[in-house]
Amino acid sequence: MIEQIKKALQAAGIAEYTINETRTESVECFFIRRKLDLKRRAELCEYAVTVFWPFEKDGKRMLGSSLARIHPEMTQTEMEAVLASACHAASFVANPWYELPSGTQQPHLPSLSTLAGHSLEENMKAMVEALFAGDTNQDVFLNSAEIFVKRMLRRIVSARGIDVSFETCEAAGEYVVQCTAPQDVETYHSFSYREADTDSLRREVKEALETTRARAQATQAPAGGEYRILLSGEQMRIFLNYYVKRAESGMIYQEYSGYQTGTAVQGDAVRGDRLTIGLKAREPYSAEGIPMKDRPLLENGILRTIHGGSRFAYYLGIEPTGNYDSIVVSTGEKPLAKLKQEPYLHIVSFSDFQMDAFSGHFGGEIRLAFLYDGERVRPVTGGSVNGSILKVQERMIFSKERYQNGRYEGPFAVALEGVPVAGV
Amino acid sequence: MKQSVQESEFIRQKKPALKKLLARLSGQYPYVSILAEDSRAKLYEVSRKNTTVSEDGILSNRGCVVRVSDGKHYTEYSFNQISEENLDEVCDGVAEAAALSEGVLPDGFEESEYALLSEEPLVFDGSTEYETDPEALGDDVILEQLRAVRDKGLAVSGKLLNCGVRCNYQKYSKLFLSKERELTQNVLWMTGSMVLAAARGDEIKDYFRGYSNLGGAEVLRQMAGEVEECANITLELLDSQPMIPGEYDCVCTPEVTGMIVHEAFGHGVEMDMFVKKRAQAEQFVGEYVASELVTMHDGAAAGRETATWFFDDEGTRAGDTVVIEKGILKQGLCDLQAAQALRTKPTGNGRRESYKRKAYTRMTNTFFEGGNSTKEEMIASISYGFLLENASSGMEDPKNWGIQCMVNVAREIRDGRLTGRVFSPIVLTGYVPDLLKSITMMSGEVTMDGGGFCGKGYKEWVKVSAGGPYIKARIRLG
Repeated sequence: MIEQIKKALQAAGIAEYTINETRTESVECFFIRRKLDLKRRAELCEYAVTVFWPFEKDGKRMLGSSLARIHPEMTQTEMEAVLASACHAASFVANPWYELPSGTQQPHLPSLSTLAGHSLEENMKAMVEALFAGDTNQDVFLNSAEIFVKRMLRRIVSARGIDVSFETCEAAGEYVVQCTAPQDVETYHSFSYREADTDSLRREVKEALETTRARAQATQAPAGGEYRILLSGEQMRIFLNYYVKRAESGMIYQEYSGYQTGTAVQGDAVRGDRLTIGLKAREPYSAEGIPMKDRPLLENGILRTIHGGSRFAYYLGIEPTGNYDSIVVSTGEKPLAKLKQEPYLHIVSFSDFQMDAFSGHFGGEIRLAFLYDGERVRPVTGGSVNGSILKVQERMIFSKERYQNGRYEGPFAVALEGVPVAGV
Repeated sequence: MKQSVQESEFIRQKKPALKKLLARLSGQYPYVSILAEDSRAKLYEVSRKNTTVSEDGILSNRGCVVRVSDGKHYTEYSFNQISEENLDEVCDGVAEAAALSEGVLPDGFEESEYALLSEEPLVFDGSTEYETDPEALGDDVILEQLRAVRDKGLAVSGKLLNCGVRCNYQKYSKLFLSKERELTQNVLWMTGSMVLAAARGDEIKDYFRGYSNLGGAEVLRQMAGEVEECANITLELLDSQPMIPGEYDCVCTPEVTGMIVHEAFGHGVEMDMFVKKRAQAEQFVGEYVASELVTMHDGAAAGRETATWFFDDEGTRAGDTVVIEKGILKQGLCDLQAAQALRTKPTGNGRRESYKRKAYTRMTNTFFEGGNSTKEEMIASISYGFLLENASSGMEDPKNWGIQCMVNVAREIRDGRLTGRVFSPIVLTGYVPDLLKSITMMSGEVTMDGGGFCGKGYKEWVKVSAGGPYIKARIRLG
């Protein structure tokens, strides 16, 4: 198919292009309690072709681009028409010229994941067993679950010699835990593994069951006011993603972010922990075919890497790195128990925790939190957090305990001072 | 002059092969349906320093999904290579999918059982209409129109950091085949939006406005006339203050009403949640859940917006479901499989993100009917409160009927007048029936917004529209 696309590109007079081929095989299981409600299989082959068109406008060199989708059932004539149309669109995309990445043919990189050594069905069975292993209680149980086990083959081919391919495997899903007494409540959880990490899934489900049991005890919202809050678990990735987004070359080029390498991103008067964050390459190549590797994002609060694709990197005069969305964060020195010695509001679960990378505002409705007033700990629910990272980043304290899930590895929790909470 | 959307060549050419596939699979399974989809979606974006044109990855699709039942259990197989020559491979794929339960289920697990589906015979072929086909209009003209809006916006003030203007459309054809049904539909919708941004130190304040229609590029005409107003609101946000948490009398603009309708209540009446015992609404059918002023609809046939079509992804005709009538919860929304589990009828709400994904119960065009008051009367009736504008996001909580909606702008009302003070951003929280029962006034005019997408949890994105009138209610803000 790639050769057919190349022929169509040639026929359309397109000299610069990048072809992304994705072949996906998946098996999917949907459960209601412990009954399989629906089973699915998918076998898909998809192509995204970016075409580039150099031209001049007002005496300046431009490089327009446009992305087209090619489907396996397209005829050669249709393919040529779609690519010619994309090329026509690119000729009106007046972005300043930039250097496209180049490369050579590289050996195929098979997945080294433990998932790769088994069939999709075997991986699915292992994940089903792990997911339901702790589901042995009457009062708190898995209400429903969806599991997706995938194998993907990616190939990236460009006019500038790039020809790379690699395999990825993934087991992902979501589940809802229900507790019926003393009140009927539920909590939502998701998981995503690149390894056959059934032990982690078992552990997460066990914690989810405990969390939901605690949620069933919570009836009151906290009083309104400012709190020393603790965020933890999946919220950590969302919260710290602020720094990842602000360090994107596209955000900086468009002046949404003033970050430069060497910037002290937490400010000049840090009294809490200084952040050290690493960017983790989850795949060996970016969609443009740029080789990706682990890189430092922040070291002791100082920005070390601006990341992104070739276009904005060229405009900023920096190395193109590809886009990152996975981070490794250094832990703090204080154990969680020490962070909990002072009064706190530990928000375990939000309806939908949000971080706005533009404004720095973070928050959401509280589904479950533990409130320690200096004397006792009690579960609370309701009310909302509406904070700003710009106001808390100088005094953040991270836990010593580690947490890992999907695209985050780092401290389990962070303590933030003086965060506004709307309560009762 | 309006024209009808044409059927895709892919659908037309593949129909004979798909009918053969249906016949072959019908020899092995008592129920078989096939959904074929051909959709093309293009996205245009311009901002001060960036222009992009791309085909959307979620909305551009060409492929098929087969659903079979052995009389008790459902199986699906998604694929995107189909011809008369590879029918054996497709049948093998379906058989492998049907055999999955033998390989993946641990001891002690079983499959849900459903009675064999019986369908009424139906043949249908329909298309929506448009004035201006974006594909015929051309990339250059579309980009030029967006650039004109951008330039007009940026000209308002040097304080504006950016004015991003975008539009996208989806033109799709779908074919649904089963033993009793042969349905074809061709639909075009188009949306536009602008996001203006200004900096307050490291904090970027932004303001968003969306436009949508069931139709084509005619939607772009509205944008240029409003960009200056949006720019001025963005500048107002530079002086905004953080909300003082509390419960207030509020007036909601139609888009905020729409978000409350959709997020706070709509998700709670998706009846696949009833099957899982995940929705409190199931216990409230026939009960008051809202003020007597409230009548709520959902349905692809309930309005003409971006979620309007003729049949859903399971071959059920589009409906207009009255969910709440004068404050009383009448019924929920239902896909085919949930309807079988609950022994009720599907309402035409079985939707897939694409042929690649499972069908769930999903909303379509969801709204409150209008009332008899005016926005001005509502503001005049408030001694202290807020006018809430510019909904940004929300999250459902069907189990506990909690509300989480994010709003960008709250304008202070004191002694029946807007004071000019602006607060931002704001989190709306509370208990859904409390909020809906607190509605005391509704304006006459209903406005819909079809610019957004709806997820089931955090995935499965489908196009929806939501809206209603201005409403006055008591809401907890933070």
